[in-house]
Amino acid sequence: MIYGAGVDVGSTQTKAVILSSGREIVSRALAMTGANVTKAAERTFSEALAASGLPREKIGYIIGTGYGRYKVTFGDSQVTEISCHARGAHFMFPNTRTVIDIGGQDTKAIRVGTNGEVVDFAMNDKCAAGTGRFLSASAEVLDLPLEKIGALSLEGKEPVRLSTVCTVFVESDIMSYLAQGKKTPDILAGVHRAIAARTISLLQRIGLSPEYTMTGGVARNIGMVNCLEEKLKTQLNVSADSHFMGAIGAALFALERAELASRGKREEAVIGGWEDGLQETKQ
Amino acid sequence: METAPAVEQARAILAAGLAPALKRTDAPAYGVFPVYSPVELYRAAGLFPIGLMGAGGQIDIVHADARFQSFVCSIAKSSLELGLQKRLVGMEGVAFHSICDVARNLASVFKRNFPGMHIEYVHLPQNAAGPETEDYLVAEFRRILAGLERRLGHRADDAAVAAAIREYNEPRRLMRELYAIRAKEPERISSAEMFPLVRVGTILPPDEHARILESAKAEFLARKHRRMDRVKVIVEGAFCEQPPLGLIETLEGAGCYLVDDDFCAGWRWFSTDVPEGPDPVRQLARAWLERGRATSTRYNPDKPRHKDLVRRVRETGAQAVLFMPAKFCEPALFDYVIFRRELEKENIPHLLIEFEEKMWTFERTRGEVETFVESLLFD
Amino acid sequence: MAEYGTAVHEASRKAMSAWYDRLALAARTGAPSAYLMISGNCVEILRSFDIEPAFPEVNALQLAIRKQSLPLILKAEEIGYSSDNCAYVKADAGFTFGEGAPGAGKIPKPTFIVCNFVGCHVYIKWFEHCSEFLDVPLTMLDIPFLRSDRPSDEDIHYVVAQLKNLIASCEKATGKAFDIDRLREICALSAKAEAGWQRCKDLCKNSPSPMDAYFDAINLMGPINVLRGTQDAVDFFDVAVREYEALVKAKKGPIPQEKFRIVVEGPPPYPFYRQFRDLFAAWGAVAVQSTYSTVGGIWEFGFRHDPKRPLESIAEQMLMENLCNRSLLERYKQIRRYVEDWRADALVIHSVKSCRLFSAGQGDMRDYFANELGVPTLLVESDLEDPRYYAQAMMKNRIDAFFESLEHRKLLKKPQGRTTA
Repeated sequence: MIYGAGVDVGSTQTKAVILSSGREIVSRALAMTGANVTKAAERTFSEALAASGLPREKIGYIIGTGYGRYKVTFGDSQVTEISCHARGAHFMFPNTRTVIDIGGQDTKAIRVGTNGEVVDFAMNDKCAAGTGRFLSASAEVLDLPLEKIGALSLEGKEPVRLSTVCTVFVESDIMSYLAQGKKTPDILAGVHRAIAARTISLLQRIGLSPEYTMTGGVARNIGMVNCLEEKLKTQLNVSADSHFMGAIGAALFALERAELASRGKREEAVIGGWEDGLQETKQ
Repeated sequence: METAPAVEQARAILAAGLAPALKRTDAPAYGVFPVYSPVELYRAAGLFPIGLMGAGGQIDIVHADARFQSFVCSIAKSSLELGLQKRLVGMEGVAFHSICDVARNLASVFKRNFPGMHIEYVHLPQNAAGPETEDYLVAEFRRILAGLERRLGHRADDAAVAAAIREYNEPRRLMRELYAIRAKEPERISSAEMFPLVRVGTILPPDEHARILESAKAEFLARKHRRMDRVKVIVEGAFCEQPPLGLIETLEGAGCYLVDDDFCAGWRWFSTDVPEGPDPVRQLARAWLERGRATSTRYNPDKPRHKDLVRRVRETGAQAVLFMPAKFCEPALFDYVIFRRELEKENIPHLLIEFEEKMWTFERTRGEVETFVESLLFD
Repeated sequence: MAEYGTAVHEASRKAMSAWYDRLALAARTGAPSAYLMISGNCVEILRSFDIEPAFPEVNALQLAIRKQSLPLILKAEEIGYSSDNCAYVKADAGFTFGEGAPGAGKIPKPTFIVCNFVGCHVYIKWFEHCSEFLDVPLTMLDIPFLRSDRPSDEDIHYVVAQLKNLIASCEKATGKAFDIDRLREICALSAKAEAGWQRCKDLCKNSPSPMDAYFDAINLMGPINVLRGTQDAVDFFDVAVREYEALVKAKKGPIPQEKFRIVVEGPPPYPFYRQFRDLFAAWGAVAVQSTYSTVGGIWEFGFRHDPKRPLESIAEQMLMENLCNRSLLERYKQIRRYVEDWRADALVIHSVKSCRLFSAGQGDMRDYFANELGVPTLLVESDLEDPRYYAQAMMKNRIDAFFESLEHRKLLKKPQGRTTA
């Protein structure tokens, strides 16, 4: 049996997944990233390894992904999370043509080919408008836990209209509405609607093409999923492992390289950057 | 103070939005992007010119954000959104003008996305009046007419242009009169009333607009009024994207009398009637060059904008200038540098407040304006 | 054996330094000089009067590439410029306006200011501000925007009439009489340099391309736009053509192995020029054409100044033979021709906040190329002058993902089971 591992180092959380050549998820681990990114990556990978019960040398290839992918110093190479989310979503839902990932720093829309390859992608611009950060900023202003706001937004009957999805101004907007006596669920419904509208316009850039799979942590926000489904007039694929999607994709890439390397076809396994992709593979 | 019935009528027409406006007359509607557009030419060609001035806060931007980046003004995006949501069906085309780089590129995006529309880009001179400039502008107006004639299949002759000039002179004259009344007695006409009266002209035929303005004028003149302790200000910078009515109400509520503004500037462009006479196309071109507003979208060394602003402050007796550019509006934001410099030389107080057509909450602005007004009243 | 780009770089640097020296001399002696814009400029007319042209845009560019722009931008914002205004203007304003401005003495206070308004509406504001703050007279050249595929006779007539007014201003400023034969000679020199430009661009159709037509085009842009109409510019292009021809023969290019041929749209992020370039080089991506290199003029399709019709050909260059005065749809055609004739794999759009002339509507451009033509297209955003808009990690992430996907698709296209050695 051959094994590959993916380590997804995000700005808030780090995730690791180990995959077997039978395409089974052998183990997974999750930890807060914190200040020391390399440590977090090592710790999370070690946890996944311990959970798998496998010795370290059985892992044929390790790929780092996410913003901290270059801090996965024990890994063999790096792949961007855009490729990994596409790959992971295609693995979980093979008919996926579009991946939606609302992340903390940025929102991605990815068009996926029949082999799980990235055909096109679009991301929000530099300012964090319309990203998961806007949701957490709204939760903070309303003094609510982040995981509660999605469900609460569903109770909103008359969503408010927001002037902006700018995280800087969300506070004063929400304060104005509270001062006007608007109800929290209506405000939250407005917040979710605004983010959904922004996300749809991102999807427009790559062309609307079902099936849609939502990845990343915000996929667990039921209010957001509902809003998007309403606007897209179709159901979204949401996996219980949605937040592991990047790590799963990375583990798939890693597994393929490990398999190709074991058959001596190193060259074709190259997916990543030219310099870092050509180094010696394990085993 | 009771709102005048003519104002109620204007507000109702505006509230109904673009859809009924597109079908208001038998003539096909022709969209006119701000600032100034030679509406007489379209009218003469048998079209009904209506302002394409964004969507305010009425629609969500879903498609247009994919075409224009976050640092582009709202009016460009919401105008495009109207088209992409198929809300401009029935509009024969749209004219854009040489006001800024965004409007210019927007003309191209319209052309590609709505191939059935007659998209015109009008290059209005960025220069002083002179014989070659006038000849150029006459040729430009003739080019526009010829394009419409080809499209619509019938002649738009000089008599039709002359008639259209006469028609549009009427509401423009009435708007000048109302502005003059308000400048003198701002307590007689609130700006929350003036704004819809002016703006409704962008979606009405000139004769209907003139009728509403006539009755409004009669109602205002018959009105009893009382001067309040407020600060007289000129609002400058909102010549393209239009502020929400709520913002104008906020300015007044915070203690301002607006004695002049540049809302819908292109629709009341001329300082006098456009003269009648032979060669009406040339009359219109000459009037544009010589009797046009000093606006941020036009370079005119004969009438520097910052000097003209100071002149208007002196003429109206305004105590301050509220400089109110739309968010991301490059022509207005650049001019702020020159305006501010000139106003400070002249010791005229000023305040900068940015707005967006889709503003929903005004508390922040209200606080700023109130503080500014207090600083002037209790100086 | 040809070494990449060293001779061109050196020749460009030398020619441009000589121009800077002349500007410094003008600053000391008060010899006639004039501000001018790069795009579709009429430098030939100024040269015929020996008026040294100064370009605030080149100034802004230099400040950015030397990483000196931010404090100047902040200084400009203090005097009222908005955070949403073009940072090219702001850096130059911070450098030039007001007491104690660092630019005093290095760049001459011009005898007069010529604003060649060629598409970019910001030019008008910029030069009005220069005129106002420096108290120098301004001549505006109102160039009608290209509204169909060719300018009308009236447009050309209008521009020629304004050029004649400019000539009168030059006569007044210098006390010299206009000499049309001198202008003809200058236009002939312009045409020679333009032929060299076209040859350099044409050579990039080779694989590997002998130069990076985005990142290295800057070496060519200085001489063609600033020094056009001089023997220096002609000599420079002789050097450039010789070097690039030798590189083509030696099958050499800017990076060891050309793996992707790209067309780039939009100006570069000057404050992070090197970093940005390296992100593409890491993937073996070479720009074989770029729109930014044509802001001054589009000579690769054959336009030349014409000594037989000097004023008319100057007017044509201003009206239609430069990127800025052409519509977005004309730009789509230009890019499409680049992608096809230069055999590019992909289009990269670098969207800069400062310059709406370039950027407004680039989402539509992306839609056209990616969704309608099927050209792989990447859109990334930052700025050409303001370092605050550039985020290296984000930029790298997007560029890596884009080339990963191109690479992945290349692999998928390979016949199954074939192993490369």
